[in-house]
Amino acid sequence: MGRVFTAFRAFFGSLFNAETAARVEQALKGEGLPAPQPLVAPPTPELKPIEVKRPEPKKPTQSEAITLLATLQREARLVDFLKEDLSGYADEQVGAAARAIQRDSAKVLERFFALQPVVADEEGARVNVPAGFDAARYRLTGKVTGDAPFAGTLQHHGWEATKCELPQFTGSDSAAKTVAPAEVEIG
Amino acid sequence: MNIEMSAKYIIGIDLGTTNSALAYAALDTEKPGVTLLPIPQLVAPATVENRDLLPSFLYLAPKIEAASGAYDLPWATDREFAVGEMARRQSAELPERTVGAAKSWLCHSRVDRHQAILPWGAGDDVAKVSPVTAARRYLEHLVAAWHDAFPNDPIARQEVVLTVPASFDASARELTREAASLAGLPDGVVFLEEPQAAVYSWLTAMGDRWRKVMKVGDTLLVCDVGGGTTDLTLVGVAEEGGELVLKRLAVGNHLLVGGDNMDLALAHHVAGLFAKKGVTLDPWQSVSLWHSCRMAKETLLSPEGPKKHPVSVLGRGSKLIGGTVTVDVPRDSTIDLLVNGFFPKCAVADRPARQRASGFQELGLPYEADTAVTKHLAGFLQSHGPSDGEPIRPTHVLFNGGVFKADAMRTRLLDVLKGWFPETAPQPLEGTHDLDYAVARGAAYYGWAKVNGGVRIRGGAARSYYIGIESAGLAIPGAPRPLRALCVVPFGMEEGTELDVPSDSIGLIVGQPAHFRFFSSSTRKDDREGVRLQRWTDEELTETDSLEATLPKDDALDDNYVPVQFHTKITELGLLELWCVSTRGSGRWKLEFSVRDDAEPA
Repeated sequence: MGRVFTAFRAFFGSLFNAETAARVEQALKGEGLPAPQPLVAPPTPELKPIEVKRPEPKKPTQSEAITLLATLQREARLVDFLKEDLSGYADEQVGAAARAIQRDSAKVLERFFALQPVVADEEGARVNVPAGFDAARYRLTGKVTGDAPFAGTLQHHGWEATKCELPQFTGSDSAAKTVAPAEVEIG
Repeated sequence: MNIEMSAKYIIGIDLGTTNSALAYAALDTEKPGVTLLPIPQLVAPATVENRDLLPSFLYLAPKIEAASGAYDLPWATDREFAVGEMARRQSAELPERTVGAAKSWLCHSRVDRHQAILPWGAGDDVAKVSPVTAARRYLEHLVAAWHDAFPNDPIARQEVVLTVPASFDASARELTREAASLAGLPDGVVFLEEPQAAVYSWLTAMGDRWRKVMKVGDTLLVCDVGGGTTDLTLVGVAEEGGELVLKRLAVGNHLLVGGDNMDLALAHHVAGLFAKKGVTLDPWQSVSLWHSCRMAKETLLSPEGPKKHPVSVLGRGSKLIGGTVTVDVPRDSTIDLLVNGFFPKCAVADRPARQRASGFQELGLPYEADTAVTKHLAGFLQSHGPSDGEPIRPTHVLFNGGVFKADAMRTRLLDVLKGWFPETAPQPLEGTHDLDYAVARGAAYYGWAKVNGGVRIRGGAARSYYIGIESAGLAIPGAPRPLRALCVVPFGMEEGTELDVPSDSIGLIVGQPAHFRFFSSSTRKDDREGVRLQRWTDEELTETDSLEATLPKDDALDDNYVPVQFHTKITELGLLELWCVSTRGSGRWKLEFSVRDDAEPA
């Protein structure tokens, strides 16, 4: 059936359309078909200067966790404190050091994250947990039955970062894992 | 395209002695919305953080450190220096490689400000820089931070206002202009005195309400105590055409005393407390102590501060707890030390102690021998009084600078003023005060008001200027010829004006540089141009950089010398130009400050 149909198409096409006739003629001669002329001219591509992009060397990156650790160590000596064995010291000695470390660490947290309580009320106050509350922002304890809204006592006001602005690392691969450089006083 | 050429933003730059800041506002708005630009800077090697302040410190890294790329910035690689927070930290631990207080060096006319002399006293292995270069580096950093944030609005096409201390004289301004132009700021950068900028900031915050707070005849004292310097200014309120106008009446001298002195004083005191406990601090711990004392100062001086506050210095190695030493610093003694040390009660007739030459005096910056800000203030008010021995009475006080965050300092200063003027005590200006950023913000507001209209402070020259001329007469071997001072710039000469100085002709030799000694005075306000002083005291006239002009040999001139008179011009941008004008022909030659002998290559 297919061949009969093709023959009819070739016959009537050649009879009424000069272009089809020419193409059938070429096909019968065994010549390659010219590409069919598209009805609409394709848009001329804009002439763009060829950009020779040099492959950019991959910039070393530092995990933001390391950046944060390095900052807390540099400004507050927090890593030294956490890594130290406290067993040999009296509480008073630990307290004296902790005061300075806490003060300077808090400054870093404030600068990078500007932490704010999730709930503005005082702890111990009665608060409402609205219907459709975000489970990531409220953790419910005690007798939880039925559906929100709930009412209860605020035990912990929670913390959330109101921004997250960590320093940008511009160093080398070998520097990317350094939390604190070794200090050597020359002379 | 005209629109592209006209500025979109006004940028105010506070190039401070210890901290710099940049504020900006869009020009095409109805009200000035001034914003601070966060400045990316190195806070540690290879760590760039945004801060609102750029500490004015320059760290010159050893080559080996620089090669690691640790001081690269988002916009620059292969850096051998660092500017900002990291440099400030380094200044304490590596003073030999860190430049600080470059601005005070800029107005220290006893040194050549183009010579690579900073860090002062550093060894030969450090690639030192000149005060001009240091100022340039800070400004370059601010310019780069701007371009990082606004890549499509090059700073050269914006309106820029740069603040300078009111106490900067003509040559210090000229050097600042040079640093600004090397840093890529537009040629049309406008200079504004810092205390005036603080007033503009207050005016912005008040809006039109300021007209209710101050009235005709009022005098405002601006007391600006920054990290390293104290700057005093008086602004008067007058009426012109039914409108209140502000006029800057007087400015003080450049006083090298500020908040850093206070931190150091407290650190010294606390080191004494440690010594009593038998603890001696090594140099590294002293740096850490300085830092702890700065924090403790804020706590102890706050209105409801604790009776005592522990100051700890952590151990140096990674085992920090064992090495930690602590003392309790009592609030009483701290207040006594800082408030009485820097703002002592005194009489208005008191004067600061004069600089004493002592055996161990260094050639460095001329730090004030007397740290009593109140005594400097007394001297300032006295020298600008209506008559001899009668001080000028301010009606209002505007505080500026981080030192005045402490209530105790403001209260004491007001108390002292009340003691001087018991009947009508000067009042602090109401409203909120942004003590750290007021200057940058005020500079942006001033620029905005210049374009869009708003209150302006009228000032003119803050000093009168004099050219030293040796009088003719028979020479006496071994004795210098008597020197006369010819007033060439009267006090209050306005920006954008010029004048001829009436005088006898002075002969200039052709073909070789002619040098003139140059003096300024912030107190001789009545000398008009052409006045010749026969004698004066050191307090009245201060010698600044000398001036020079070279008259090229001209075949048309028969004589070896040309008789000239002087012509003075103050540009719209606030820069002083002095010209020699031939009285015989049409020749004009500009006098230049002779501080540019050893200009560094860019």
